[in-house]
Amino acid sequence: MNSIFDWLTIILRRDLLIAFRRSATYITPLIFFLIVVTFFPLALGPQESLLSSLAPGVIWIATLLASLLAVESIFSEDFRDGTLDDFFISLEPSFVLVFAKVLIHWLITGLPIMAASIIAAVVLYLPFDSFLPILLSLILGTSFMSLLGALGAALSLGKSAILSAIIVLPFSIPTLLMGTSVITSSINNQDYFGFLMIMGAMLAIGIPLLCLLTVEALLLNYD
Amino acid sequence: MTSMWKVLKQWFIEMGSPPLFYNWSSKIIPWLGIATLVLLSIGIFWGLFVSPIDYKQGDVYRILYIHVPSAILGESIFIFMAICGFINVIWRAKISGMMLKAAAPIGMSFTLLVLVTGSVWGKPTWGTWWVWDARLTSTLILFFIYAALIGLHSTIEDKTKADRAVSILSIVGVAIIPVIKKSVDWWQTLHQPSTFTITSSPSMSPEMYLPLLVCLLGFYLFFAFSLTLNLRNEVLDRERSKNWVKQKFSS
Repeated sequence: MNSIFDWLTIILRRDLLIAFRRSATYITPLIFFLIVVTFFPLALGPQESLLSSLAPGVIWIATLLASLLAVESIFSEDFRDGTLDDFFISLEPSFVLVFAKVLIHWLITGLPIMAASIIAAVVLYLPFDSFLPILLSLILGTSFMSLLGALGAALSLGKSAILSAIIVLPFSIPTLLMGTSVITSSINNQDYFGFLMIMGAMLAIGIPLLCLLTVEALLLNYD
Repeated sequence: MTSMWKVLKQWFIEMGSPPLFYNWSSKIIPWLGIATLVLLSIGIFWGLFVSPIDYKQGDVYRILYIHVPSAILGESIFIFMAICGFINVIWRAKISGMMLKAAAPIGMSFTLLVLVTGSVWGKPTWGTWWVWDARLTSTLILFFIYAALIGLHSTIEDKTKADRAVSILSIVGVAIIPVIKKSVDWWQTLHQPSTFTITSSPSMSPEMYLPLLVCLLGFYLFFAFSLTLNLRNEVLDRERSKNWVKQKFSS
């Protein structure tokens, strides 16, 4: 039990088991995403040209809202039943715990959303060529959202769920801008790799920085 | 070298202790207040009445003597807060956390002032109150981030913990500052490029430029003045059960 990877696999296996025993954890974001997407044609009318031009924004707004949905559960349950205390007492690098939690959150929200985004792209009349950029932008964007969500959850631990949303949403605007730019420029046959690279850079800085800050935020509860 | 560093560190620690801060700040407050009043009245009078009319915009352009300094202040206060936050997270210096808390509402007000003066200027010049342009939008995001920081602070009961939570968030939030700064260069926007640059001479005439500089200094002094006042309140509020506060206000 010495290496960091052992710890990572232990936490991952445990949390994935818990998530799969309760199917609501990974199905709720998926259903929520599809419901939000459905609302737009109902509210704006079913014209094909209108919907396909709004589709990048619709997909990304639904993604941000859906990934915020499960943010609350990242740490709250472990905090309540004392598992989190055990992790901090065991003196392993707490960075590992946070990273594993972020990964779990991405697996139970980001991945289902990516699957649902293809359905959304079809019903919003996006061309087949834009599916790859949608998936690429969502991989990077939802992972960054999971990182931000973990920080928001750690800062608002034991408080109302709306607080973490207010903390996280202003910081998610760059992701929203870049993500929609990727899809829009792929529809207009422009080069979208620049935007993907910026998203990748944000993720590369975000993984170490946001995980460390999340550890610091969690420690606030253990003074 | 190391001894100088030690002396400097000792000085910082002493200056930052709440009772000492309270004492020395009561000495500088009147000076700060007078300097702010003098610089702001000179700058604003010079800008509004003396400096020449713009040949394209007329008198409308004069709002820039409020708009530009508050924009610079709104951003610099955030950088100041992030530095305080960094110090607070790493060295757990109590006073830096209080400073962060005291600076946040001032920064938020300046950011609101930028948005309001900008749209007042935009209506006659651009023909619209608001455009979704990169600089305007990123400033709006800065406003929301200020709101998130203040909201987070008010929800946490323990003030010291609240300071540290806000410190953590301000370190993340400071990433918005270079985006605002560079937004006029990176994207095609309606907003004109920066008025002030350190590297090149200003594109405005000196009669318009100098009053702006005076206003900017006045705004910075105003920030120092109001920050000190806010911070003194914060110090008294947090230390109200301590002996030095009781002694000061017992008679």
